[in-house]
Amino acid sequence: MSVPSVRRERSGLSGAVARRALGYFSAVVTVTASTLLAWFVFGEWHLTDVVMVFLLGVVIVSMRFGYGPSLLVAVLSVVSFEFFFIPPLFSFEVADPRHIVTFAVMFFVALVISHLTKRVRDQADAVRLRERNTASLYAASREIGLAYSREALLAASARHAREMFHAGVAVLLPGANEKLQVVHADDDATLALGQEVAAAAEGMWRHQRITGGAVGASTSAPAAREPLLVPLRGSRGHVGVLAFLPTETWNILDADGRALLEAFAALVGSAIDRTMLADEARGATLRAETEQLRNALLSSVSHDLRTPLGVVTGVTSALLDRAPKDEETRRLLLTTAHEEALRLSQLVRNLLDMTRVDAGALSVRKELQPLEEVIGAALTRLENRLRDREVGTDIPEDLPLAPFDSILIEQVLINLLENAARYTPPGSAIDVVVRLHHGDVEVEVADRGPGVPRDDAERVFDKFYRAREREGGGVGLGLTICRGVVLAHGGRIWVEDRRGGGASFRFTLPLDEARDPDETVDFVAERGAS
Amino acid sequence: MSEPHRVVLVIDDEAQMRIFVRIALEAYGYQALEAPTAAEGIRQATTHMPDLILLDLGLPDADGGEVTRRIREWSNLPILIISAGGTEASKVRALDEGADDYITKPFGAAELMARIRVALRKAGPAREVPAEVVHVGNDIRIDLARHLVLVRGKEVHLAPIEYKILATLVRHTGRVATHQQLIENVWGPGQAQQVQTLRVYMTQLRHKLERQPARPKYLLTETGIGYRLRLEV
Repeated sequence: MSVPSVRRERSGLSGAVARRALGYFSAVVTVTASTLLAWFVFGEWHLTDVVMVFLLGVVIVSMRFGYGPSLLVAVLSVVSFEFFFIPPLFSFEVADPRHIVTFAVMFFVALVISHLTKRVRDQADAVRLRERNTASLYAASREIGLAYSREALLAASARHAREMFHAGVAVLLPGANEKLQVVHADDDATLALGQEVAAAAEGMWRHQRITGGAVGASTSAPAAREPLLVPLRGSRGHVGVLAFLPTETWNILDADGRALLEAFAALVGSAIDRTMLADEARGATLRAETEQLRNALLSSVSHDLRTPLGVVTGVTSALLDRAPKDEETRRLLLTTAHEEALRLSQLVRNLLDMTRVDAGALSVRKELQPLEEVIGAALTRLENRLRDREVGTDIPEDLPLAPFDSILIEQVLINLLENAARYTPPGSAIDVVVRLHHGDVEVEVADRGPGVPRDDAERVFDKFYRAREREGGGVGLGLTICRGVVLAHGGRIWVEDRRGGGASFRFTLPLDEARDPDETVDFVAERGAS
Repeated sequence: MSEPHRVVLVIDDEAQMRIFVRIALEAYGYQALEAPTAAEGIRQATTHMPDLILLDLGLPDADGGEVTRRIREWSNLPILIISAGGTEASKVRALDEGADDYITKPFGAAELMARIRVALRKAGPAREVPAEVVHVGNDIRIDLARHLVLVRGKEVHLAPIEYKILATLVRHTGRVATHQQLIENVWGPGQAQQVQTLRVYMTQLRHKLERQPARPKYLLTETGIGYRLRLEV
């Protein structure tokens, strides 16, 4: 019983014809064989045994082939029986009229046998098919159920649909404006999915939206070569439309095929529903986080901006109201106001920088340049701040030019150096070290302060995070800005403990960008000459 | 002040800013003129012939580079740009158009006065005959007549390009020289030289002149804009 049903096979039309021809050919061969067997074993005298041999032929053929060949065997058997075994032999004349009854009975029995055999065979086929459908549905459900992203889910759905139904598949889901969009399609399907199909899918979608969705219309037996639309349903109603586009051998025209299709559509529908729910949950989390962040920003800004503003307002109003008589007090008040105003200015600059980094709108203009120069520029900018510090620099002489945005990297260095100055004892040393490391250039800003606790090593780069809340300083954005800039350059930034005590902030800049060889050569040549 | 009542024209659309600058100027013995728009500023510049112009980059009616260009059509008077920390490009544009220097808000009165003094020095008689020998800090002596550079008493050999860069910076002493101005001065106008090349030569120059090239005291970088030679720390 290994010959599969013709209809289920992938082969083309010619294959089916060949198989049918083989059936009829086998019918003829079987009858010939029965005739020869009966002739040599039983001869003309044991007619009942001869009939049995012929009926055996009917059983064999009807078991293996379709209704047509078994009918042919029945007819040929009767004819052969009459011709070879009924006297007068080798003629179609019938001497004894009772033999007419024998023929009729024999033909009737042959018919019944072929009917029954065919039904048994069909049932076996159906069971096998159902088994296979169940197996493929199971495989599909496993893969679709495990798909981690919507893209993977859709791709798996399309692949299984193609295997199971031999049809191209397109998944249509509602887009932003509730209009259906093809979100996934195998190539052929995309090509075949014309305007009409899209319009029909849109129509079905709207109809379902309004009526709650009578599905019957879509899955009633479709015309052979028409695209077939199946609604996708999730836990909360319709989620989209699945479009099947016929191929040569597609097989969803019978009841079994349609049932399988429904099951498959339900599977895909609930899986898509699941990803939608997951997306919504993620969106909700994100909104909550954004909300939290905004609150943090507001409280931080209101505290950090209001304090200096309060001082400036207070001091200046005091001076306006009743200027102190002695010059020393007046100067003290003004100095305080001035310092607070400068701090305010710094905070505002950080906030503005942050919005640039945060919005992802950070445009990085990389140019090949010496790191030494930008380090020098940052140190110059902080000259006053670092006046009482010993600042060591260690930059390899042969350091190649690196591609980076000088304005942004200067900002990173300034923030790191300011942090070092802010959180370490006055007068302690700060070191800036540059080294080459696996094709990256690594810049280190190290101090001899208390260091960063291991638990804080990640969090110090978070927005508004301050390692030591009370020790003055900024809003907790400096390192966040650094991280944004370094990441935008394709580098990494982290902090580690420094050997011998202190914190070591390090960041990398990738070197492997297109380098202008001429310039490098120039540089080397010129240095060599001088 | 050797020359009292030098006239400074302040072109800024913010009244508060003009008040602050005027008070500061008058405290230091300058006379202040005020203009809230570019058009008014250009008009006053032509009628009153000030000694210096303070030009805000964020004027409502014209871009600072444009104002500089129009003033430079007929006058060489010093122009000091006031920038509110906008993009480097707008500063560079104004500087390339011929503005002398820039100062970024917020700034203090002392800082502003120092910049004004440097800018006025350029216009003063001292500029006409440049000093033969320029002292940079205590370490460096540049003998312009003999193309000699001495660092801590020892002669340092500079490549011709390096010397030209240094000479250009000396001519811009105290003020910023933009990348473009340096490139034009060193390689000649119309030379499409890359800023990258300039940076490489600057690095070499620092290695020859500065004690700590990574922490320069004299050859300063104005990131995104150009370079500045500082004569004393």
